Amino acid sequence: MNTNKIDHIIALSNDLRWQIGDEFHDNLAEGIYADAAEIVKGAVRKKDEKGTFRIDTKIDKIITSKVWGFPLMFIILAVVLWMTIVGANYPSAMLSGLLLDTIHPALKGFASNIGMPWWLDGFLIDGVYLAVAWVIAVMLPPMAIFFPLFTLLEDFGYLPRVAFNLDHLFKLSGAHGKQALTMSMGFGCNAAGIVATRIIDSPRERLIAIITNNFSLCNGRWPTQILIATIFVGALVPASYSGIMSLAAVIGIAVLGMVFMFLVSWGLSKTVLKGEVSTFNLELPPYRPPRFWKTIYTSIIDRTLIVLWRAIVFAAPAGAVIWLISNIYLGDASIATWLIDSLDGFGFLLGLNGVILVAYIVAIPANEIVIPTILMLTVLVTGISAGEGAGVMFELDSATATGDILRAGGWTLLTAINLMLFSLLHNPCSTTIYTIYKETKSVKWTTVASVLPVILGFVVTFLVAQIWRLLA
Amino acid sequence: MEVKPKSACETCVQFNADGLKKLGVNTSDFDFVVALAGNPNTGKSTVFNAMTGLRQHTGNWPGKTVTRAEGAFEYNKEKFKLVDLPGTYSLLSTSEDEEVARNFILFGKPSVTVIVVDASRLERNLNLVLQILEITNNAVLCLNLMDEAQRNNLEINTRTLAKDLGIPVVPTSARYNRGIPELIQTISELANGKIVCKPHRIKNIPKNIEQALEKLSAEIKEVYPDIPNSRWIALRLLEGDRNIIETLKTGEFV
Amino acid sequence: MNTYNPITALAVFFALSILAYLLFRPNKGWFWLIKNSSVSNDKIVVEDVLKLLYHNENADKHLNVNDIIRTLKYNDKLILECINRMSHHALISIEGDSVKLTKSGSDYALRIVRAHRLWEKFLAEKTGFKESEWHERAERMEHELSKVEADILSSQLGNPQFDPHGDPIPTNTGKIAKVKGIPVSELSIGTIGRIVHIKDKPEIIYKQILAENIHIGSVIRIMEKTPARIEFHSEGEAFVLAPIMAGNITVSVLEKDVVFEENLARLSILKENETAKIIGISKEIRGDSRRRLLDLGFVKGAEVKLDLLNPLGDPRAFLIKGTSIALRQNQASKILIQKD
Ligand SMILES: Nc1nc2c(ncn2[C@@H]2O[C@H](COP(=O)(O)OP(=O)(O)OP(=O)(O)O)[C@@H](O)[C@H]2O)c(=O)[nH]1
Ligand SMILES: [Mg+2]
Repeated sequence: MNTNKIDHIIALSNDLRWQIGDEFHDNLAEGIYADAAEIVKGAVRKKDEKGTFRIDTKIDKIITSKVWGFPLMFIILAVVLWMTIVGANYPSAMLSGLLLDTIHPALKGFASNIGMPWWLDGFLIDGVYLAVAWVIAVMLPPMAIFFPLFTLLEDFGYLPRVAFNLDHLFKLSGAHGKQALTMSMGFGCNAAGIVATRIIDSPRERLIAIITNNFSLCNGRWPTQILIATIFVGALVPASYSGIMSLAAVIGIAVLGMVFMFLVSWGLSKTVLKGEVSTFNLELPPYRPPRFWKTIYTSIIDRTLIVLWRAIVFAAPAGAVIWLISNIYLGDASIATWLIDSLDGFGFLLGLNGVILVAYIVAIPANEIVIPTILMLTVLVTGISAGEGAGVMFELDSATATGDILRAGGWTLLTAINLMLFSLLHNPCSTTIYTIYKETKSVKWTTVASVLPVILGFVVTFLVAQIWRLLA
Repeated sequence: MEVKPKSACETCVQFNADGLKKLGVNTSDFDFVVALAGNPNTGKSTVFNAMTGLRQHTGNWPGKTVTRAEGAFEYNKEKFKLVDLPGTYSLLSTSEDEEVARNFILFGKPSVTVIVVDASRLERNLNLVLQILEITNNAVLCLNLMDEAQRNNLEINTRTLAKDLGIPVVPTSARYNRGIPELIQTISELANGKIVCKPHRIKNIPKNIEQALEKLSAEIKEVYPDIPNSRWIALRLLEGDRNIIETLKTGEFV
Repeated sequence: MNTYNPITALAVFFALSILAYLLFRPNKGWFWLIKNSSVSNDKIVVEDVLKLLYHNENADKHLNVNDIIRTLKYNDKLILECINRMSHHALISIEGDSVKLTKSGSDYALRIVRAHRLWEKFLAEKTGFKESEWHERAERMEHELSKVEADILSSQLGNPQFDPHGDPIPTNTGKIAKVKGIPVSELSIGTIGRIVHIKDKPEIIYKQILAENIHIGSVIRIMEKTPARIEFHSEGEAFVLAPIMAGNITVSVLEKDVVFEENLARLSILKENETAKIIGISKEIRGDSRRRLLDLGFVKGAEVKLDLLNPLGDPRAFLIKGTSIALRQNQASKILIQKD
């Protein structure tokens, strides 16, 4: 009899709903706000007539102005990157001096003292340890600068203004303006950016944001860009300008990523993800002066160390894998040589080489280890490693040394530029792929999001390579 | 039922600093569940961090938190599990981005709901507050960002506010840990029934809706005499909310 | 590698790209054409015949087999085959010249109509598709929604009674609400009413009405009426229609004491340093986005001010209840205000 009653209640509610009509929601919202206004009237008093948040309005007028809006965004991006590139140089050199030049030989010495077998010593110290040390030396300094700067901007309240300024472009490409926020999150970590797409409440536009998040250079890729730009692009001009030149190259790649994001969003919304743009509304919070030291402290502790930890967790096994494939032989050649040889032709077509492609396969778990893998494999193929043996990462106390190795591996400016392009346009890392799957719960879209960027990467590097060779 | 809202200074004397232990992520064997609800960007995660000692990401834009996070603290030997929720503008909408928060506030059965609001934008924040007060009898208003309100020359009479809303009001500046002890004390008193709320019920509902609500909620009470928020259920039924129709059939909300 | 030459490589690449384009381009790609042609469309034909009969019977018109073949754009033989099969399964009965729906045939037809109108409602409430696209999309979807799916959809939408054109949605037991109202062409000067239905057929007239930005739910007031034209005001704008368009719009007349707001404006035209009061949100904004706007404080009576322009002109931020909220201009143009 209870179910009867409940069915009756539900039927009654249906009848009543139709009696009330479709103004229901409007009326209710107005009613609630009327209550709110009454309560506020009794409890809140403004002490003087001056408007609230006046400074905010002034800042906003500049940040969103026709003249200053866009230049300011580029200047801020440039300043953040410049501080990262310049600031990271010194601690990076110091760390690699310590970890690679001092501790590594010491460990080797210790191993031979206690009579460790060559394969265990190679596997642990030359494989695992070196990979980890490299990642720390190269990743830690830029991240420890980039993250706090980014967090300061975030706490200040700049991100929503970026979304506000850019929304029109997103609208033109059929996407949601809040994608600007998830894109910015992606500059830190793509997986985080993809979780952040939950703020977009239209499923179609959310999918677009998820698929295109990979075009934001993540922290695993910034160091690669910076390193390669410094070695190859910066060297094109006199030393006093090389800093500016490499900065320009890195910014160019980051901006190119945004261009691709808009283009791909547009393409998706014109084809498979067809539909009109839905509504957009964004609250612009007041500016809040960040608590400088606290922000610096927490962003180093939370973000930098956590991300670094992740890089190490992936780098250690990758180091081991690299050592193994270079030391296990199939017939005459090691697995690594065999892989590299078979991919060399394809790599050449793309203006890259077999080493780079193998490195990207090994580095699917984490983008951070691409460069160390490339270095180690290059050493393996060119045979320039005199004393260390196969599968050992080279000791790199300076960018020049790295450059020498790469040039010995046949790298040209084209290889460098295409590597930068390919680092922007390739599949997301495994964590990101898993996050995409968790968020979309769809194998189809996960596949699209993973494969689409690689295909784009192949096409772009291929075209650049052919045109380069035609003109050269 | 008795209204006994307290002003901040009555409680701060009673706060027992030795009784507080921030437990971080250790949320096992809790005695009470406390939900942190509120509009986006009002400082929920900052309050959460201040009470649990965790470091949930915060950021000055609406939508920073998108998944729910849990943490715990112990106060006077009782363990409180604290749930940080994504910001919501309303419980009446059906939009997907707010689903996590909406569902927890409605169906998570928290012992105490802490409603975090931006003190300098009280009116717009009250939209959600008044909705939450329709469904729960145990809530406290955390009047956050007080420093900002003061800087903008706003004077808020917490006593009047508490009387009007029928729940305790605690002014805080979570970022500087101001008011957090008072908040913890109030939560503990609410959880233990030492403070009894008499939440505000929305008055300005148009007549035709009000009548429909009364009719429906009377019928609901007949079937489920014990539920506290029959009016809210009636409201959701009028909206045609599927979740509510299902729960009504199973009677799971009691 | 000895045959390599950048030009050859590029040529091969472009040839492959063109091939891929021809195969997979949206809609007309060969791959899709082949894939779609293999799907049997008997079901679709049967359902379209049922719907056609249903709509005509409602208008008290009876069709013969030839009418059906003429109206539906399918292969004649296919239609004949389907009609035969339908009469065999007792969905229709052929009495002399005319084809009639049986009870089970009209039940089936109602289910399709239900699916169609629910889907239109869904498109209106939950997606951003243009109004002119709803019908076509629903025409496709009506054949795909099962009865159970339609029921779920219906309750997700709050069991709506009418579709966005104001046509009644049959309930799952086949009940249909009545549309009460008078065509605009028959109203006298000064009448105030709310638009409850806009006929979506014939399509040419429907598209013209949409192009005028006339929507269900708007309150209108008749200002002028001659045999050649009808003028009415709604949401701060004046509309002039030919009687045949006006005949396709139905309104329910409102009591006389309803205040009809003249001198309305749209939020999108608000200039810097001007303030205004919100009068309401146009009915063009529906569903979730309407609720969100209300929750953000765009309710009747609220004070609003233009806060920020944008380097690209769109969106703009409006100061409402103490907070700056950015809206795109096409949304702002659907919020009605009265300037102070
Ligand atoms: N001045 C001041 N700033 C505060 C206070 N509490 C929080 N904030 C700042 O307000 C911003 C928003 O804080 P969050 O804790 O991320 O807000 P939230 O409610 O969790 O936001 P969502 O997760 O987006 O819903 C951050 O930049 C905080 O640093 C306060 O008491 N005073
Ligand atoms: Mg938060």
